[in-house]
Amino acid sequence: MKKSIYNPEFKLFFRNSSSWIGIIVLLITGFAGLYFGKTFINNQQAVIEKAAMLQKKNTLSNIDHFGKDIGLLFYHNKFSFANAPNAWAAFANGQRDINPYLISVTMLGLEGQIYDTDINNPVSLLLGNMDLSFVFIFLFPLVIIAFSYNLLSEQKESGVWSLLRAQTNQSFQVIWQKFLVRVAVIFSVALLLLFVAILYLHLPVDFIFFSITTLIIFYLAFWFAVSFFIISLAKSSNFNASALVAVWVLICIVIPASLNLFLTRKYPMPEALQNVINQREGNHEKWDMAKEVTMKPFFDHYPQLKQYPFPEEKTFSWFWYYAMQQMGDDQAIASRRAIENKLAARQRFTNTLAFFFPTIQTQLGINNMAGSDLNTHLDFQEAVRKYHEQIRLHFYPGIFLNKAVDSTDIKDYKLEKYSPQQIPSVWANLLSISILTVILIGTTVFNFKRQEQF
Amino acid sequence: MPNRISTIAKQTFKTALNNRATLALTLLLGLSLGLATYVGWQNFKTQNNQRLHYKELVRAQWLAKPDKHPHRMAHYGYLAFREKHELSFFDFGIESFAGVSIFLEAHKQNTVNFSEAGFSNGMLRFGEISVAMVLQLLVPLLIFFLGYNSISAERESGTLKILLCQNVSWKQLLWGKTLGIIGVCLSIFIPLMLLTILLWASLSHWQISGDASLRLMVLIFSYAIYFFIVSAVTVLVSAFARSSKSALTTLLACWIFFMVIMPRITQAIGVKIYPSPSKIEFADAIATDIHKQGDSHNPDDPHYAAIKDSLLKTYGVTDVKKLPFNYGGYIMAEGEKITSKIYSNHQKELNKVFEKQNSITTAAGFMNPYLSLKHISMAITASDFDTFVDFQNQAEAYRYQLAQKMNKLQIDKISNIAPGEEEKPLAISKAHWAEQPDFNYHFGKLSSVLTNELLALSALTCWLLATVMLLQYTTRWIKTI
Repeated sequence: MKKSIYNPEFKLFFRNSSSWIGIIVLLITGFAGLYFGKTFINNQQAVIEKAAMLQKKNTLSNIDHFGKDIGLLFYHNKFSFANAPNAWAAFANGQRDINPYLISVTMLGLEGQIYDTDINNPVSLLLGNMDLSFVFIFLFPLVIIAFSYNLLSEQKESGVWSLLRAQTNQSFQVIWQKFLVRVAVIFSVALLLLFVAILYLHLPVDFIFFSITTLIIFYLAFWFAVSFFIISLAKSSNFNASALVAVWVLICIVIPASLNLFLTRKYPMPEALQNVINQREGNHEKWDMAKEVTMKPFFDHYPQLKQYPFPEEKTFSWFWYYAMQQMGDDQAIASRRAIENKLAARQRFTNTLAFFFPTIQTQLGINNMAGSDLNTHLDFQEAVRKYHEQIRLHFYPGIFLNKAVDSTDIKDYKLEKYSPQQIPSVWANLLSISILTVILIGTTVFNFKRQEQF
Repeated sequence: MPNRISTIAKQTFKTALNNRATLALTLLLGLSLGLATYVGWQNFKTQNNQRLHYKELVRAQWLAKPDKHPHRMAHYGYLAFREKHELSFFDFGIESFAGVSIFLEAHKQNTVNFSEAGFSNGMLRFGEISVAMVLQLLVPLLIFFLGYNSISAERESGTLKILLCQNVSWKQLLWGKTLGIIGVCLSIFIPLMLLTILLWASLSHWQISGDASLRLMVLIFSYAIYFFIVSAVTVLVSAFARSSKSALTTLLACWIFFMVIMPRITQAIGVKIYPSPSKIEFADAIATDIHKQGDSHNPDDPHYAAIKDSLLKTYGVTDVKKLPFNYGGYIMAEGEKITSKIYSNHQKELNKVFEKQNSITTAAGFMNPYLSLKHISMAITASDFDTFVDFQNQAEAYRYQLAQKMNKLQIDKISNIAPGEEEKPLAISKAHWAEQPDFNYHFGKLSSVLTNELLALSALTCWLLATVMLLQYTTRWIKTI
């Protein structure tokens, strides 16, 4: 029996052409987001495959060119390490366009190579990617606003409201039913898009899927709560529309953009430039110094390499050269840590702020889950550092003993892929959004109760 | 006739500011603009001073290097920092997405690294509040709120009929309303521009160049045109809409579509139609071309063998060691020449691809005045793609010049006979390091900037003409009741 109350409300809703426009806009932009997001990630995957091929080809050609001098070969030969996208990266491209997903390094100083960017069109970076998460975070709230801003005010403006109140004392129920119809429609569209995403992006239905779905549902619920709150103020349709769009502009654009400017100002990054200078000086100044200045700290760092005879009398040796390169990295360690600390401070600042702004919270949460945020990139950088050290320690003996290239297993080296260690958690994000939603709903109910008394 | 227009304009202006909500919104916007200007200016100073500080440090370190082999200096190389234009505090443009420092060394072209975006945990994706962003995105929203009911409310209250009966023509009404709304915008815009001029002058240490003043004038003029277009469109929508409510929803929908959705889609389409190579593909294409040209490491390479033979012949010697100059330096200079040329050609091709990608968004300016203004604003404040490319080009030219300067020193000053394995390495006096000038970026002239932005400028002009025509000639289709 209860269902029959909702049937006419659904009919009323779908009779309105603007309802269909809203749904169609969401579907079309959603599909466009899926398409462009997938194209972007497919492209990265293709590049990684190509890099794997080039890794082999370039190693062989380097052996061909420099194979007579093992030190020179490793001066030139690059080792590629890729942060391969997971299926969710196509759902939320995040920072994957800005941060390099493929880092190719030689055995020389790492600090001079690890920050090299990919070649990018800065205008594309500025305007941002079109992916499904964009549609969920920015466009869904707008359609929610469009569907619900005149729920009460329209009844009042057309005169139906006073008629209704004269006939029943459950006028709140009528608004509530209309509201639930809109909630049902929006959530259906959201779930439909997620379902299409599963098929089109080959998303695994796992913990991450449920986390992201829950996060999105909570986020949309927050926007319904905002709309419901504005409706409960019982102002005109024009006021509601203006106020809701203003709230959207504030929460989705003005506040994050202002906070961002503040963040840049509070945590500037001169350490990055200092780091480049430290690395460069730490390496190059050694040419003009006694060899011992380089070799003593080098052997302190790697005592196991002391067993290889160092050709002290020679003006130049690869042993000395690679040790000098390592000095660049070793002397940049303080500034490198300073960068890490600054980035961590920025992250803490953002996480605190995000607690109050569901848009930021959802964006960070989804990107984190999709492995397309800054933290994933920093972990990837850390993995590159480990890989670089492993390669160096593996090939140092051959170089220091000036062995033939054929005696090494360089030909076996393939492109390595980074696999993230830990599964991120989304509880904090959910908690903050749900607290804000509950507060808003509470205030709304209070507003309605107060009105019914009059 | 103009008298009546100004009466309507004044009336619109007054009623707008008498409305408390509008006044609050206007003040809020003015306040946030003031704040954006101040923080933008502060950020500019911090970042630019940082870069200048490191620029001086790099120079001092370069000059302080002891006597050594010039090729060591070529590998020590130089660090160049991208300076900001004084006006970039007004519009951040691509500033945060483009790298800041580039390492310039012999044989190798590096990327411009350390963009602010690389240090961002995703917050940057919401945008950065700058004066330009407020003026481009939020002022139109204010205009929409001010003007959505400018005509429709008169119609709904019945005053429209009375007005038209009193010999006020539709044309006068539309122009008057438009000008009245612009008046409200200008009451924020004019003080803001005065503040901008003041801050900009202080950033330029009160030494104002003719080019920069011209830039500022074009900038102010473009924004004024933009506000006019937006105001006129608002009044027209209000005149044609069935009700105030439909006018408001139409305008808000337009705002969202044109300013939030469209820029992303046009750029995504551009990237899709004109795919750019990844770094690894780009490097591979260059390596293949260099390999075709000749391999300086291979003694049997025909290109370098020919050079060797002709040198031996010219100087009448049998061994390169007997040449009266440093043969290694000569070969390196030749190699640098070949590789730089190939690299530059590829870089040019790449930039062309990027330009094509961006051209879709620029062309969309004919449908969307926001995009054309954004383009023009970034170009004039030197925070656009062209300026970034220009920086890369100037840095590469400097890198090439530095490498060849060191090769020349090697050719002229370094003995052609290499020392033994255990002998002291050859070196030249450190006095030579000062011969290499410091890297200084020079911004392009406004005239060349405007030529590059011809498409965006003409799009904005088209919009101006179209709105003027609409205000003048569409009145006959507007319904009075």
